[in-house]
Amino acid sequence: MPDLSHVDDYPEIPVSLRSSRGVLRTGDWRNMRPVLAERVSACTHECPASVPIPRYFHHLAAGRLEEAFATFTLRNPFPRITGRVCPRTCEAGCNRVDREGPVSIRDLERYLGEATAGLPHLPSAEATGSKVAVVGSGPAGLSAAYYLRRSGHEVVVFESQPEAGGMLRYGIPEYRLPSAVVDDEIARLQAMGIRFRTGVALGGDLDLGNLEDEYDAVFVATGAWLGRSMGVEGESLMESGLDFLVASHDAGVRPPGRRCAVVGGGNTALDVARTLRRLGAEATVLYRRTPDEMPAIGEEYRAAVEEGVAFEFLTLPRALRKDGADLVVTLETMRLGDPDDSGRRRPEPTGDDREARFDAVYSAIGETASLEPFPDALKGGDGWLAVGPSGETKADRVFVGGDLATGPATVVEAIAWGRRTAEAVNERIGGGYEVPDWVAEQGDGVVGPTDINPATFPDTDPHHAPHLDAAARLAAGMGEEAGTMTDAEALAEIERCYSCGYCNECGTCFVFCPDVAIRWEDGPVFDYTFCKGCDICTTECPGHVILTVKEEEVARG
Amino acid sequence: MGERHLLTGNHAASYGAKLSRAEVISAYPITPQTTIVELLSEMVASGELDARYITVESEHSAMAAVIGASAAGCRTYTATSGQGLALMHEMLHWAVGARTPVVLTNVTRAMAPGWSIWSEQTDFLSQRDVGWMMLFAETVQEAQDFVVWMYRVAEQVFLPGMVAMDAFILSHTSEPLIVHDQAAVDAYLPPFDPLYTLDPAEPRAYGGLVNRDHYFEIRYKAFEAMERAGRLLVEAGEEFGEALGHRYGPVDPFMMDDAEIVFVSAGAMTSNVRYAVTLLRERGIKAGLLRLVAFRPFPFEEVRRLLEGRKVAVLDRNMSSGHSGIFAEEIRSALSMGAAPTEVYGYVLGIGGRDIRVETVLDVADDLMSRDEPARTLYVGVKGLPIGPARADREIARLAPLEEVSP
Repeated sequence: MPDLSHVDDYPEIPVSLRSSRGVLRTGDWRNMRPVLAERVSACTHECPASVPIPRYFHHLAAGRLEEAFATFTLRNPFPRITGRVCPRTCEAGCNRVDREGPVSIRDLERYLGEATAGLPHLPSAEATGSKVAVVGSGPAGLSAAYYLRRSGHEVVVFESQPEAGGMLRYGIPEYRLPSAVVDDEIARLQAMGIRFRTGVALGGDLDLGNLEDEYDAVFVATGAWLGRSMGVEGESLMESGLDFLVASHDAGVRPPGRRCAVVGGGNTALDVARTLRRLGAEATVLYRRTPDEMPAIGEEYRAAVEEGVAFEFLTLPRALRKDGADLVVTLETMRLGDPDDSGRRRPEPTGDDREARFDAVYSAIGETASLEPFPDALKGGDGWLAVGPSGETKADRVFVGGDLATGPATVVEAIAWGRRTAEAVNERIGGGYEVPDWVAEQGDGVVGPTDINPATFPDTDPHHAPHLDAAARLAAGMGEEAGTMTDAEALAEIERCYSCGYCNECGTCFVFCPDVAIRWEDGPVFDYTFCKGCDICTTECPGHVILTVKEEEVARG
Repeated sequence: MGERHLLTGNHAASYGAKLSRAEVISAYPITPQTTIVELLSEMVASGELDARYITVESEHSAMAAVIGASAAGCRTYTATSGQGLALMHEMLHWAVGARTPVVLTNVTRAMAPGWSIWSEQTDFLSQRDVGWMMLFAETVQEAQDFVVWMYRVAEQVFLPGMVAMDAFILSHTSEPLIVHDQAAVDAYLPPFDPLYTLDPAEPRAYGGLVNRDHYFEIRYKAFEAMERAGRLLVEAGEEFGEALGHRYGPVDPFMMDDAEIVFVSAGAMTSNVRYAVTLLRERGIKAGLLRLVAFRPFPFEEVRRLLEGRKVAVLDRNMSSGHSGIFAEEIRSALSMGAAPTEVYGYVLGIGGRDIRVETVLDVADDLMSRDEPARTLYVGVKGLPIGPARADREIARLAPLEEVSP
């Protein structure tokens, strides 16, 4: 220190002559402190598989493909599949939904899937010596097989069909999910060491009791494939919609005539109708309620309308008969009555009948699971399987899941169930896979729209993956209808993400901290020696990742 | 060198900031200043000017923002007017203590109430004691050039400076000017080399508590810097002439050599005074004009040298109530220190933007020649009153009740 006995010893400005870090420990003034508190984004919260969406977006944006893939597959092994067929509940939850529309999460998921299609799956944990059988190779079975294998178990997947994939391969039409993608994903699972045995059916070559003896655990996810009976006269003249979808994967399949009708309002019905249009037929959907009650995914309905599928609502087939080459269907007009158990208004008959002529009528009123292979010991009082939240049954070694447990549901719900069961199996027989620290550190609060600091983000319209228009879709036949975003589109779309609850290292807190009390070490680090607890970083944090907590609460733990 | 353009005084000021390569601009819009920063915001948005434009909610914050940016090492600019300048007042002091060479253009505006957007210099001159350098532009060319000139000096002494121009008479009036060649301005005005920069690697506490043992010395250094600025302003004004073709100085004398009566004026009103002087000369009256360009640092030497022994009429479009027009007060003060006896007549006129016409100046000349004893403050053009001092014995009049209230 100069002795300051002469004016020339002084600085031009009032400034400390020693380092202020030594003398001004402003953190002593603090009674509140900022903490980095990662929480669950609204999109992740709405995702049945809980995919950590902002986190993998951040890795993608930073060019860290392998990290993005590892982050995604922590929750869902198949971004190439759900990136095509997911109903996007995440996007409905996106905090940007009421601004210019949600972030195009599914398109980005597909982008991730395609960008990482050549990567092998993460290495499996050390071998446990345990063996697990998975019966059924649909999304639930494949997901469980993946997580069980990753946990170090020996895994064998049994499939009754000639090829693995279940509904992914046989139920979902080619134009939504090409078989080649399913082939690739099965091959990638095989490369992990998962074995597949096809053409063996439970109740046929396979016996549940034998599997229980031979394996440490058995996961049955055989799906819901049984068509339901409508109980109408001449029902045997109808064809199974699901069988038609299975057959549609073979080139050269043609509908039996030009005038086709599909009975039902679910995803299978619409898949059948849209497939019929692609194969050159006319398709009329006969549904006993109105569009508001249809269980099908909304975007499937809109696409069907665009493709010229006709809809006759409040219409119920009462009888079918042959008249020469024609199928004559008696249709009764319905009206909506009071809500039923599902909350949807119940269709009631009006007695008003009419006739219509078709070349073929497909039934797609919902599928159900076959319980034939299961012993009564596994059934509950209602005659259905007694199933715990993670697929536990009354038998120690037997777990069930997917559509078999839930009834017809979405691919992503089946994938989520598969992972849940794999974890339940691990709890029972040991084994597991490495889970990064953030999973345990993440709070369970959900970041909502009012938590966000939207002013940080410019108004930007969403970017979408290419999608054929209706005419081009029909012209493409069973060819895939959607494409993948370019790198530039994907990066621009990730820019739109608010990164709710997840620190994507945007640096806003660092810039705004008036006390230089945030150091940057691959992310913000609070320097509590100097942080006064002013709350500015919390206020400015765009994704609401920083919270301010009372010091006394910190002291209490 | 440069290009001839037709611009308003306000847009000329924008070009002054642009030619100076201001790096951070922050302002709050206020008539009649707004078009200065409007044009600058467009220049920043288009990329024509490589700068950050910070929008704020008040002039106080605008000044705080440019002080912060200047402390961080950027050349900073702002503009305001009237109430806006008054709202900045606290921060104006801070800019001096922090030794941040911010440059500000103030478009002079009468203070409210009554609300007025018209020209009057009291807003500007009220900032006399904050410690900023203060210049008064007369022409559109000067509205541009003084910004550049001010930076040149401000960044040598690390003191902020403000340039005033009269509302509308200059701010919204288009005149031809030369917009200088950027390379020539770059050669005249080197990049800002800050006295200090805010750097976490050099952690210091700035602007903190200073006790009685130390405050005076630090302020004294700023006072010294202002003294130095007087000389630098002259040098930089001459160099401006060499480099950019317009020579500037702290005063601007006109027909002063043999002048017996001298008008003192500042700002755009000076043009009419100058013309009045030529008319008086045609009548055989030895009139002259001394335009004040620099107000702080005050040009004591020049004022004394040029006014000593003459009959001086100071034309103030401003008033320090209870004293005099502010320029009159300052001129008398400069002449009190060893100059020969000089008669100084203070005239206050054009308050609230009322026009100061050539005829108004000629009326003042007649009045001046009729007087033989210096007068402190003579008001010109108050309705119903001849030119003369304020009436100290007038009774305060209350409002008469309204004749009709509704509707």
